Amino acid sequence: MSHLKSDLAEKKVTFPTCKKAQIIELWCAEPVFFASRELSDTYYTEGVIGNYALAYALGWAYSPYRLTGTATTKPTYIEDLSDLDCYILPAWAIDNHISYRFERFNALSDAYWFAMSNNRVVINREDLPLKRTGKKPSSYRPSNFPQTGRLKMIERGNLFETIVFGEVELPEYIRVGKFKSKVKITVKKESLIEYLPTAKYPCKTYLNSADLPENISYFSFDILAIPPVSILKNLQFEGEAWRIDDFIVPANLKFCQS
Amino acid sequence: MSIEKLSSFLASTYENFPKGRTISLVVLRTTQSETIFRTEGSGEPMSSEFVQAGLENTEIIPRLVMTKRKQIAPERRKGREFLRQYNLLYNAKGDTICSLNTNAPCEMCIDCFLYGFAAGGEGAQKSRVWTEDAFSILPSTELIGDRTINALYENGTMRDETGKASTALNTSEYIKPSVHFLDIVTLKDVTADELRYAVGNILLTTRYGAVSSRVGRMDNEILGVFGGFAELPSSLELVQQVFDLLSKTDNVTLEHPLQKDSVVNAVKSIINQWTNKRGISVQLNEEELNNLVADIDTNWSMEKQEEFLARLNKTYESYRQIPAENTSKKSKGK
Ligand SMILES: [Zn+2]
Repeated sequence: MSHLKSDLAEKKVTFPTCKKAQIIELWCAEPVFFASRELSDTYYTEGVIGNYALAYALGWAYSPYRLTGTATTKPTYIEDLSDLDCYILPAWAIDNHISYRFERFNALSDAYWFAMSNNRVVINREDLPLKRTGKKPSSYRPSNFPQTGRLKMIERGNLFETIVFGEVELPEYIRVGKFKSKVKITVKKESLIEYLPTAKYPCKTYLNSADLPENISYFSFDILAIPPVSILKNLQFEGEAWRIDDFIVPANLKFCQS
Repeated sequence: MSIEKLSSFLASTYENFPKGRTISLVVLRTTQSETIFRTEGSGEPMSSEFVQAGLENTEIIPRLVMTKRKQIAPERRKGREFLRQYNLLYNAKGDTICSLNTNAPCEMCIDCFLYGFAAGGEGAQKSRVWTEDAFSILPSTELIGDRTINALYENGTMRDETGKASTALNTSEYIKPSVHFLDIVTLKDVTADELRYAVGNILLTTRYGAVSSRVGRMDNEILGVFGGFAELPSSLELVQQVFDLLSKTDNVTLEHPLQKDSVVNAVKSIINQWTNKRGISVQLNEEELNNLVADIDTNWSMEKQEEFLARLNKTYESYRQIPAENTSKKSKGK
């Protein structure tokens, strides 16, 4: 980690390496679900689309179809994203308006006989007599993998907005979230990135806390604690900045800097 | 064989990293009997959503929704019936045979490789078959019927032996027959045989939604096949374009039941324009589409299906990392 940081420090430039940015709109053609947090048997989606998810969805980096061993628990954001020369901010709901919907999910077996036990679908009918005697055959033990519950999802039709830095061609449709929901991309505006010298600035966009440069001071912000990294909003900061159209963000944003 | 026309967007073998090869299918799903789709449990109303009627017609109407999970689950089950029949499902942990949703996927069968699994921390396979919520063309208000269910006792009356009245008297909603749903299915980095398997599952599946012997019959038809490195527009946009076009077409009255021919013609004239879109490279023409469906029917025919499935099954051999003796009931390698 430490050698990675010094590498980045050497590479740091004040003027943006990319000259252009695109302000884009994201239209949810389908309900979008991320497991942001869990309360009892309900899984909540926060009203934001993380920029790491967007980077993968845009095809800037690929994660394998099959994950084995430690790969299932340890993501490779640093390896996948930190060398990219393009960047995208987390997406925020336009006008702060966002609507949600709830949906029940229920796992069903493909066996003719099945039973629901401790959050687990059981298909071993031969274990039933054993279970009735008070014993707990292994097929009846609780599952750590949710098989029933409720999902709070971002409803179809919600509009998000974000900024893409760098000269990249964007696909018309991407897939995001746990259920690979289709999201349409529309470029609203292309803009040059303007450099602003060190001063105190308010930032209207959402920011990923791991992507901020080291040399800025924070005055205030709101935090959205979601995995894998917290998202900041309403940041007031002092430092160098970039202006893109009406938006001002800290200069030198980059994936996985801290 | 028109599958060749798609070859630049097909993988020659299963690979673990995405390469942006996309095959997309436009599917027309038509109910053949009363059908039940609910997002919540029984007693809840049919799944419907308020959306814009068309892209041009901005009126908001309720449309029936067949959610993505309502499509994929029966289609996977259909394929797995054949895998079970030919002993192509492998043993999962605890010596149980690979099964859906029971926390015991075998991680080795065709279904596990193509549709994916999550095995609670040990490993996971992402699905390469992506569906979308499908919508009815017409407003749901025209497509829902009501039925009162009278549950009779064994003696054939509404009263049991002691004279107590049956309480199982219920009104229930259902989706009428001949309702058209439009759907986009996306296959990522699939091989030719995986394409045949996935499309075969769609064409062979005849029941969806709440399961019962009398309801849920559905007919699926492939109206378009595309190859490219990008996805087609969403099924919602497709259904909206079809609605706009049908409302402008002479001789089409927008009421239930719609003439199937008008629906098919409208869909085809819309999707023919998609070939110019960014990243969509080829569309099979009418003849090639028929050839592809014939090719799939042949591979799934009674005479060929065992050989076809065994051939597809064999392509994953090098990715099955545990020794052969640990897998049970394997088909004899050909
Ligand atoms: Zn399996």
